[in-house]
Amino acid sequence: MAITPGAAVHSATAGRSRRPRTGEASRAWVYVVLAAGMVAMIFPFVWMILGSFKTTEEIRQYPLNFWPLEPTLANYTALFVRLDFANFFVNSLVVAVFVTAGNIVFSSMVGYALAKLDFAGKKVLFVLVLGTLMVPGVVTFVPLFVLTANLGLVNSYPGLILPFLIAPLGVFLMRQFMLGLPDELIEAARIDGASEWRIFLRVIMPLCGPAVATLTILTFLASWNNFLWPLVVATSEDRYTLPVALALYSVGQNAAQYGLMMAGAFVVVLPILIIFVLLQKYFVQGIALTGIK
Amino acid sequence: MNRWRSWSAVAVIGTLAVTGCGRGDGGGDSAPSGGAAIDETPATGEVTIWAMGNEGEVLDQLATKFEAENPDATINVTAVPWESAHDRLATSIAGGETPDISMLGTTWVGEFAATGALEPTPAGLVEESSFFPGSWGTAVVDDVAYGVPWYVDTRVMFYRTDMADAAGVQAPATWEEYKTFAKALQSQGADVGVSLPPGGFDSWQYLAPLVWQQGGDIMNEDGTEFTFETPQWKEALEYYASFFEEGISDPVRLETGEIEQKFISGEVGSFFSGPFHVGLLKDQGGEEFNDKFGVAMVPGADSRTSFTGGGNLAVFKDSQNRDASWKFVRWLSQPETQIEWYGISTTLPSVQAAYEDPTFSKDPYLSVFAEQLGDSKAPPAIPTWAQVSAVIDQEIEKVTRGDTTVDEALSTIQTQAESIGTGL
Repeated sequence: MAITPGAAVHSATAGRSRRPRTGEASRAWVYVVLAAGMVAMIFPFVWMILGSFKTTEEIRQYPLNFWPLEPTLANYTALFVRLDFANFFVNSLVVAVFVTAGNIVFSSMVGYALAKLDFAGKKVLFVLVLGTLMVPGVVTFVPLFVLTANLGLVNSYPGLILPFLIAPLGVFLMRQFMLGLPDELIEAARIDGASEWRIFLRVIMPLCGPAVATLTILTFLASWNNFLWPLVVATSEDRYTLPVALALYSVGQNAAQYGLMMAGAFVVVLPILIIFVLLQKYFVQGIALTGIK
Repeated sequence: MNRWRSWSAVAVIGTLAVTGCGRGDGGGDSAPSGGAAIDETPATGEVTIWAMGNEGEVLDQLATKFEAENPDATINVTAVPWESAHDRLATSIAGGETPDISMLGTTWVGEFAATGALEPTPAGLVEESSFFPGSWGTAVVDDVAYGVPWYVDTRVMFYRTDMADAAGVQAPATWEEYKTFAKALQSQGADVGVSLPPGGFDSWQYLAPLVWQQGGDIMNEDGTEFTFETPQWKEALEYYASFFEEGISDPVRLETGEIEQKFISGEVGSFFSGPFHVGLLKDQGGEEFNDKFGVAMVPGADSRTSFTGGGNLAVFKDSQNRDASWKFVRWLSQPETQIEWYGISTTLPSVQAAYEDPTFSKDPYLSVFAEQLGDSKAPPAIPTWAQVSAVIDQEIEKVTRGDTTVDEALSTIQTQAESIGTGL
């Protein structure tokens, strides 16, 4: 999907430079192609959201109804009352918020040091950080769990949060962004007598908006969707996060209740949609600046 | 799916490495025995049990009854999603964070028993002969029983009775009748006479019964050698592939969710599945569909053996409350409890005596499952079975697609299985 609109844009601009007069027509075609792509992408979500307000019988009905005939909140009631999704939602939110906050604080601190400070072994340290980026999570999974278990953190919020407070990708992203900031700013602040902390907090960080926005979205998304770690660390149901709960309840007696499943999926997707809409402007900017996805 | 496969591989390697150096008390060189016998006094203290999927969601209802009979005991049920439940257990064993009891997929017992984390069943806890023999076999690794079978699952043939009646055929008992039957269903409008997976995950569960039906097996008597290059396997695989060659089966894999829709619409004339499909079909087909389908024992050659799976219960060595854990397991495997459990979870009892109850003996569907359970078999309980079976799945696909011959496929399975080994 991503290729089609991109290719269309490319050929459209090429076509315009050669035949200026057909520019308007090609532009119209671009919109048609993009609109078709958008509908194809968005329709399943719309169907899911509408479906969450239908009864299971109505979803199964043939021919299909687009709009709910008798809109019902029964699916959401079942989700939050019978299946205790409020608890899972809070767990997910607590974990994602702390993990995201931790990444913003620690990644930017390390990134700043690697980008702007001079110290012995800086290059080696940076290569090491990049090196850990190459190690797949599966390799460290079991040792990390054994460590967590030995620290007595199994089935606790710290056990779910601590291992993810900083990630090499975040460090890399912040460093790349900060490299682009002029050294003169830091020097000027230093001459004016600002402490190193002050420089970091008041001069550098305010300029890192796009990078922080990108980091926020990436980290929040990763934490929100994380499945295997919470599954293993949360040994009792009251510590389950949303993806674990969704996996639990989407088989067995609830599996055939499509409305309930769609309501569950919508609850899981909603916070991500909100965050993305809020930060989307910076997100694109941030990705373009750092050149990574 | 591949990602999960590699996860579990890593998790298992981690498990073995950690338990290898951490668990010196795991039985040592002497054969593990069940430890002290469990007495008849009421259970006390807390017991944590992990159960997967639907079983985990509804086990609380049954546990309350146990708590009423044993007022000083508390049962904490944790529902674990089936997806990656295996990895969760493997990692927990590595980290020494196991519950007291866990439900295990029948094919996992060998692997987890090999880590030394499971406690052998104490002598005299349950009567071995009260379970279905095929089912009890799933709990036994290298002649030692770990835990007990909790519920069973077997495959029978689901077919469209209306089509069969119209064509004047009856559910097949033999291989010859089987093909005639499937073709007759096609003559009544079914595109697919019998739906079989042409390959992919767990396809071996459809092929292995054909071997068992001729008296063949996956391993030799004493469980030391794989026996894939035998006439029974050759016959079975040729027979299986012929359904695709003759157009009786489509080389398209239908998952749960698709298959019942196509069965109800009449595109698929018959398929093999477990007891849960009865409920699904009744639910989705509506009133008038109820008398349009039936179940029958699988057709056979020398025997009509089917595949058996299900769930076992195992107690971990690290349990803080061993006695109460085994008492709960014993209670769960009583016939009365199992009948009640069927009412709650619709999973089939693993204890034979439970089937004398009218719930099963009078039900037209359940009685067939009960009969089939008397002749059903599980794969060998070896730690490496997941890897070996993946090779079989892969070779079945090559054969049904015509990429390789039956002989070559079996020789590949044999060679690869030998290099994987039994893991014991």
